[in-house]
Amino acid sequence: MNRGNRVLLSCVYWAFVLYVFVPLILMVLVSFKDSKFIGFPIRSWTFEWYTGVFADAQVLSTFGYSVVIAVLSTAISVVVGTWIAVLLEGRRFWGRAVIFGLTVLPALVPGIISAIAFRIYARGLGIEPGMGAIVWAHAVHNVPFVVLVVMARLSTLPKSQIEAARDLGADPLIAFLRITLPYLVPAILGASIFCLLLSFDDFVRSFFLGGYEPTLPVLIFAKLRSGMSPEINAIATVALILTAVVGIWAERFTRRLKKETEG
Amino acid sequence: MTVQDPLVRIQGISKSFGAAVALENLDLDIARGEFVTFLGPSGCGKSTTLRILGGFQQPDRGRILLDGEDVTRLPPEKRHVNMVFQDYALFPHMTVRQNIGFGLELQGLDRASIKRRADEIMSFLELQPFAERYPAQLSGGQRQRVALARALAPDPALLLLDEPLGALDAKLRGQVQQELKSIQRRTSKTFFFVTHDQEEALTMSDRIIVMNHGRVEQDGTPEELYFHPATRFVAEFIGETNLLTGKVRGVDSDAVVMDWCGQTLRGHAPAGAPRTGDAITASIRLERLGFHAQRPDTPNALQARVVGKTFLGSRMAVDLEVAEAEGARLKAYVDTDVGQSVGEAPVWIGWDTDSMAVLRD
Amino acid sequence: MSYDAASARNERAASTLRQADRTFWGRLVNWSPYRAFAGLVAASPRRQFLILALFPILWVLTQHLGPMIQMVGVSFTDAYPVAAGTEQHLTLDNYARFFGDSIFWMPFFRTLFFAATFTFCTLILTYPVAYYLARHVSRKNQMLMLLLLLIPFWVGEIVRTYAIMILLGNTGAVNLLLRSIGLIDRPIPFMYTSFSMGMGIVYLTALYMLLPLYSALEKLPKSYNEAAADLGAGAWTRFRRVTLPLTIEGISSGCTLVFLIATGFYATPVLLGGPSTTVFAETIAGFFHVAGDEWPTGAAFATIMFVSALIVTVVFQRLMSALRKGDVK
Repeated sequence: MNRGNRVLLSCVYWAFVLYVFVPLILMVLVSFKDSKFIGFPIRSWTFEWYTGVFADAQVLSTFGYSVVIAVLSTAISVVVGTWIAVLLEGRRFWGRAVIFGLTVLPALVPGIISAIAFRIYARGLGIEPGMGAIVWAHAVHNVPFVVLVVMARLSTLPKSQIEAARDLGADPLIAFLRITLPYLVPAILGASIFCLLLSFDDFVRSFFLGGYEPTLPVLIFAKLRSGMSPEINAIATVALILTAVVGIWAERFTRRLKKETEG
Repeated sequence: MTVQDPLVRIQGISKSFGAAVALENLDLDIARGEFVTFLGPSGCGKSTTLRILGGFQQPDRGRILLDGEDVTRLPPEKRHVNMVFQDYALFPHMTVRQNIGFGLELQGLDRASIKRRADEIMSFLELQPFAERYPAQLSGGQRQRVALARALAPDPALLLLDEPLGALDAKLRGQVQQELKSIQRRTSKTFFFVTHDQEEALTMSDRIIVMNHGRVEQDGTPEELYFHPATRFVAEFIGETNLLTGKVRGVDSDAVVMDWCGQTLRGHAPAGAPRTGDAITASIRLERLGFHAQRPDTPNALQARVVGKTFLGSRMAVDLEVAEAEGARLKAYVDTDVGQSVGEAPVWIGWDTDSMAVLRD
Repeated sequence: MSYDAASARNERAASTLRQADRTFWGRLVNWSPYRAFAGLVAASPRRQFLILALFPILWVLTQHLGPMIQMVGVSFTDAYPVAAGTEQHLTLDNYARFFGDSIFWMPFFRTLFFAATFTFCTLILTYPVAYYLARHVSRKNQMLMLLLLLIPFWVGEIVRTYAIMILLGNTGAVNLLLRSIGLIDRPIPFMYTSFSMGMGIVYLTALYMLLPLYSALEKLPKSYNEAAADLGAGAWTRFRRVTLPLTIEGISSGCTLVFLIATGFYATPVLLGGPSTTVFAETIAGFFHVAGDEWPTGAAFATIMFVSALIVTVVFQRLMSALRKGDVK
């Protein structure tokens, strides 16, 4: 293809990079603004909003609450998702397509519908809105992502690995624990991080299934409804840095792990 | 072939995958300490037999007896049989030592015994320097040896080898063939080897079983298979050969007399003797044709003209046209000096009765 | 040292006397409760399969399908949750209510229209980016440049929606920029319009379009284009006759994903939209903020929306696959 097209396309790419980064950068900048008034230009700078955020017991406990929810729901999603992936990958049986379809269903249901379906179901089961309900909804919603990631990895495990383990005296469970599971570690770690971020960032399910205690996105939403302030920027910036750092670290880590185990 | 007190007895095994028949009523005995090779093209049923012996597949019909015990329905982990996989299937997250120790651990050996046993087998296969390496850090030949060591470590009654040399380059393969044969002799274990490579089979085996379409074509020593192929398939699959199609003139006590393009020839008779008048094919190996200046006193002698020569180094391939028969052609391997000396003039070719195998079918 | 088969046997016999020093796995497989368990489970391949399959099947039926079934079920009742001392009746009133008032069906059609429009915008925006990454960047840089785009997408929905608010506000960056270069005197009211909402939704969903497009383009062998060029096709013809038809699958799955996600947004329309852009998600949510007796209506509306979204995506996918198979001239 000619040079002109190439240059043009590279400009489009970098413009897209700007498009996805600039709003976030602006948001971070405003968090340092020495004025209650949101907007530009910024004439003087301050750390005051951050010291405020870190002194705010409610914000801190919300952070902790969100992290706990993310960790618990991820633990459930990973166990269930891996189990389903092991059942579905490389096995042919009657009804497999139906089970696969049902497995990915929660990922395809639009957010609001998913949230109210969970809410109605939780009510039917007698689960009160609150942490338990949120953990449950996040866990169910995130299972499909774990299944897809783990299945993709599992499909690259040579069948002979399991056969060799069986041949050397391992029963199916031991072969799974000693051969399959170590092989899946990069995928499971990657999927876990993804689930952690999905849960930590989720608004709509946390909003409809939450009790009086808000998760971080719900808190930001509530504060936004009562008006914008640089304090919100500071909270959002902390959340942003946390998620981005975890995401980048996970990306690099799982990539390295994959390389190592593949040799 | 029936064997006294066989290690493995395969009785009437059949296996189909959907409409495709992989094995049809296979009966086979394997003696202790034998190096048995299953040879055949892909899809002939040799790998299926191996996998049934290993416990990875269940036959539709039939039984497998190992040391007299019926193991047909036992899962792989309960059989005293180990396998060297085609891709070696070394565990990538374990060192060489851990790979070798895997089977020993599951036998319930204590740490000291596992270490001693692994050391023993590693020094036997000259793997000591690589003990703490991971499979990814080894060469192809080293990996192959680790796979062998891992399979030998639990001291199996029977070792299955599924084309384990396929991934090696040609030069290394020859060397590993010798090694494998010598390991088999020194351990006096029963090796059950599967390959599609006839040269590999001829070099290593005590006994070769040639398979085609799920059935045994021939079962015998490498020499028997090479010089006395029973069927056209075996004759063509192993080595190069001249196939002579003709009619039976009569049958002697030790030979079949046949007519080939007007020439009368005598060949080694197969098990079920053919009847006079039957259409028949005989196989004669290229290097078994002898060149003579005068008519030789071999049972078979023909005069032929040289119509083409191909230089192959130490020997030559010579294309011949039989003088008195229209369209009768033969191919022969001769030493290069003999090949160079023959010219336009007709030569005599002669061979023994025993050199020419009359084929069944 | 030489190999000795007998030594292996002796070793094994002696070793059983030193059980304490077995490895973890060696001890596990010889531990009698484990042996009993393994004997029970591993008795037959069929039983192994049943034990493996039972939990996943129960899970997807009760946790994945259950909520949807119950939502549909509740949508046909007159009261949920059922108050003490009252009875629940089956009814179609909840559905009738939807068609009875434009305050309900207007947001519904608006949502479908918006979602389709924003999906199209996302496609137009991300296709060149995916194309550039897959076709003009070396493999090593591809991963890095893709990773760069992934970073903002790890940030949550609310935070990114807020970032758009700051960008587009009356004193936001865009207005500041436009004013400082003298294009406008007074700020343009971007916020609380369908524009700001679209901007937000496109911003939030771009990645879900980009990734399927990228993987479809990346799978496409470069030789196809070279062959087309060799046959005299110009750049535009090559794109239209070769690249585009062969990436329809990626386009189709990207659009489906983005469309479904876009119909489900709640917080973003609330924060970025205005009174004239009320979407169906807000309508549905309204029934859950008030007393419980409105839940069946909310469930019915959610069912309507889910079924419609499914119909739209199925029709769309059919169209795309017909396009792929048929003539694309």
